[in-house]
Amino acid sequence: MSTINFANREINFKIVYYGPGLSGKTTNLKWIYGKIPEGRKGEMVSLATEDERTLFFDFLPLDLGEVKGFKTRFHLYTVPGQVFYNASRKLILRGVDGIVFVADSAPNRLRANAESMRNMRENLAEYGLKVEDLPVVLQVNKRDLPDALPVEMVRAVVDPEGRFPVFEAVATEGKGVFETLKEVSRLVLARVGSGA
Amino acid sequence: MVEPSLVLYGGPYERAMDVLEETLRETGARYALFIDRKGFVLAHKEALWAPKPPPLDSLATLVAGNAAATQALAKLLGEARFQEVVHQGERMGLYVDEAGEHALLVLVFDENAPLGKVKLYGKRAAEALARLAAEALANPPKLNLDTQYREEAKALLDELFGN
Repeated sequence: MSTINFANREINFKIVYYGPGLSGKTTNLKWIYGKIPEGRKGEMVSLATEDERTLFFDFLPLDLGEVKGFKTRFHLYTVPGQVFYNASRKLILRGVDGIVFVADSAPNRLRANAESMRNMRENLAEYGLKVEDLPVVLQVNKRDLPDALPVEMVRAVVDPEGRFPVFEAVATEGKGVFETLKEVSRLVLARVGSGA
Repeated sequence: MVEPSLVLYGGPYERAMDVLEETLRETGARYALFIDRKGFVLAHKEALWAPKPPPLDSLATLVAGNAAATQALAKLLGEARFQEVVHQGERMGLYVDEAGEHALLVLVFDENAPLGKVKLYGKRAAEALARLAAEALANPPKLNLDTQYREEAKALLDELFGN
């Protein structure tokens, strides 16, 4: 559910980047931060370990602009991908409006992709949510790896029913990053006023 | 449980602003924020004499994250909740208290504000804000946004992220 601030005439949405460790969630946010012009973004907050692994979350507020008199804003979060940070990961999903699932194309991360999706389903269930109830976009990242698995193979383990829109990405070069964010934003906005 | 959308409008919003203003006056704190548990600012007030505050989005997000972690810790230890949280540095301090199930009160204060007063009036304010939040949740205002909103928002997405 979006947060509406009538007094300041703001509508805020929470979008969470989920996925296994080192799949590129923080890289997505860093690219976005680097490319969005000043005045349309706030400060990026990263709660990371010394070796730059996400410890709690990254946070980046974006300002879409004014729509029908309402300032429309997106709060982007990443979760820590490493398996043992599940308690923190669960907290970040509270009140989520849309999800980008960042999958890794490396052959040795196929199982990690599947486990992360299963973990996301379990954590959403704790808030009474199902993946099917939320806008979810699948980003298959690291397409530049020489041994990258076919997109369909990655998709088969995280989204066997082919339910989510899929974007190929090389987040380190920004490829597919905006496309993914734009799609999840579009899906989230499409639910405004629809009673969802 | 799906997180309900806490929307303050009209009377409840004005009363929340009054509570924040009074709390600033009584405690001598610099900034008072009423935020939801997702980390969004519902209302905020700054003391007239206070310097420019830090980015409120970042403040609210970190406080909400911290509160969520604190609550999870309480549960691990078999407690229903740990209520207020106080952080104090050499010059600045932070007081956070639950304002009901879905919101938090945040007070940012400096060394001139007595901690006892901050806690006393912070607790009172949190209770008043909890009642307002409950009232707002029981009577959510209707948001008349239609397809036009979605179309206009889509055009802005094109502008920001490219076609």
